[in-house]
Amino acid sequence: MRRALLHLGFLLGLCLTAEVRADPLPPAPVRWATDTAGMLTPATLGRLDARLAAFEHATGHQVLVWTGDSIGAQTLEDWAARTFAAWKVGRKGLDDGAVLFVLARDRKVRLEVGYGLEARLTDLTASRILREDVLPRLHAGDADGAVTAGVDRLLTTLGGEPQTTQTPALPPLGLAQKILIAIAGLLFLMLLLTHPRLALMVLYSLMSGRRSNGGGGGGFVGGGGRSGGGGASGSW
Amino acid sequence: MSGKSVLIALAIVLSVIVVAALSAVGSYNGLIAANQAVQAQWGQVENVYQRRLDLVPNLVETVKGVAAFEKETYTAVAEARAHVGQVTAPGPAALTDDPAAFERFAQAQQGLSSALARLLVVSERYPQLKANESFRDLQAQLEGTENRIAVERMRYNDAARTYNTRRQTFPTALIAAMFADRFRERPYFEAQPGAAVAPKVKF
Repeated sequence: MRRALLHLGFLLGLCLTAEVRADPLPPAPVRWATDTAGMLTPATLGRLDARLAAFEHATGHQVLVWTGDSIGAQTLEDWAARTFAAWKVGRKGLDDGAVLFVLARDRKVRLEVGYGLEARLTDLTASRILREDVLPRLHAGDADGAVTAGVDRLLTTLGGEPQTTQTPALPPLGLAQKILIAIAGLLFLMLLLTHPRLALMVLYSLMSGRRSNGGGGGGFVGGGGRSGGGGASGSW
Repeated sequence: MSGKSVLIALAIVLSVIVVAALSAVGSYNGLIAANQAVQAQWGQVENVYQRRLDLVPNLVETVKGVAAFEKETYTAVAEARAHVGQVTAPGPAALTDDPAAFERFAQAQQGLSSALARLLVVSERYPQLKANESFRDLQAQLEGTENRIAVERMRYNDAARTYNTRRQTFPTALIAAMFADRFRERPYFEAQPGAAVAPKVKF
């Protein structure tokens, strides 16, 4: 009995160790633009991050930029596909994500494209973005320009960025709207006097609704997407 | 007293049977799910191989257009492609069921990989080809396809490994033996020497 238990324990141990992968992948980023290699200036990084965050809010597509140092002897393409799957970039079922990996010490770039975006961002387009926009600038030592130009063309290819990242300016109110607002305010005041608790609840739900619509806060969270090795690579 | 112990014994036997039946059903369903994952992944593998087959004629045409391009190189590619077409014939389900057919399929695809790799190496010697935009585009597409093949093959092997392990582990092994022709062992793609090095294009 004890030996049987011991065997069971051993088998269980085997199962658990078999789960562990040999080479660790970088942890999933918490921002849309992440610069672990320190190639980009903070201003560029912040701008890229804000743009990519706004792009996800507007279109649902998760597009990331990530810089790293080196992946050692691993094959870039294989590493990129596994990292992409581990980070779960793109929405589950739609697989509509893309990641621009830049490896500083390896001097390599990979644009990995999720299954769902392969039709719009073909290998050809991906390869041209790298060849024409990213690699020449990296070669010239302009990492900021390279990544920005790459993201510019990437987002244009994927249907363009939202027109304004700020909340659009409200059009001036007409007389009828002014009267309506005045009536609503009056009604609210009456409610506040007669049922103060109810009025506060209404106010609270209105405000929290506004907040959840606004988005903005929070970082990148993978949606469960995968890639199948689509995209392109290059070195400079 | 004895009647009571008989009842207890009966209850124990009954509960053992119920537990065994439940675990058998669980094992069977688990195997079905793992098998379906293998088949779905096999479909992906076939897709990406088909994608490569579709690219080859264009590539051969482009290369043919270049004056004095080595004829043997592109005829080898065309022949390897034709060979793949003959091997694929038996049908998709049969391939993962039949290790010998699977091996032939993998060999034929490997033959095409080598022929294409050779073509790309030879093309380096023709400056007018390297300057040709449509050739460069084809090269990029081919590179992407080789990469997709590597990814889908890896994922197929992962799915097959999960299924085969489940199939061989104890209680499930009994179920697998009972429905032997439904739950055959699934073959793997073996890493061929040089297979990891997909034809690479440096810009």
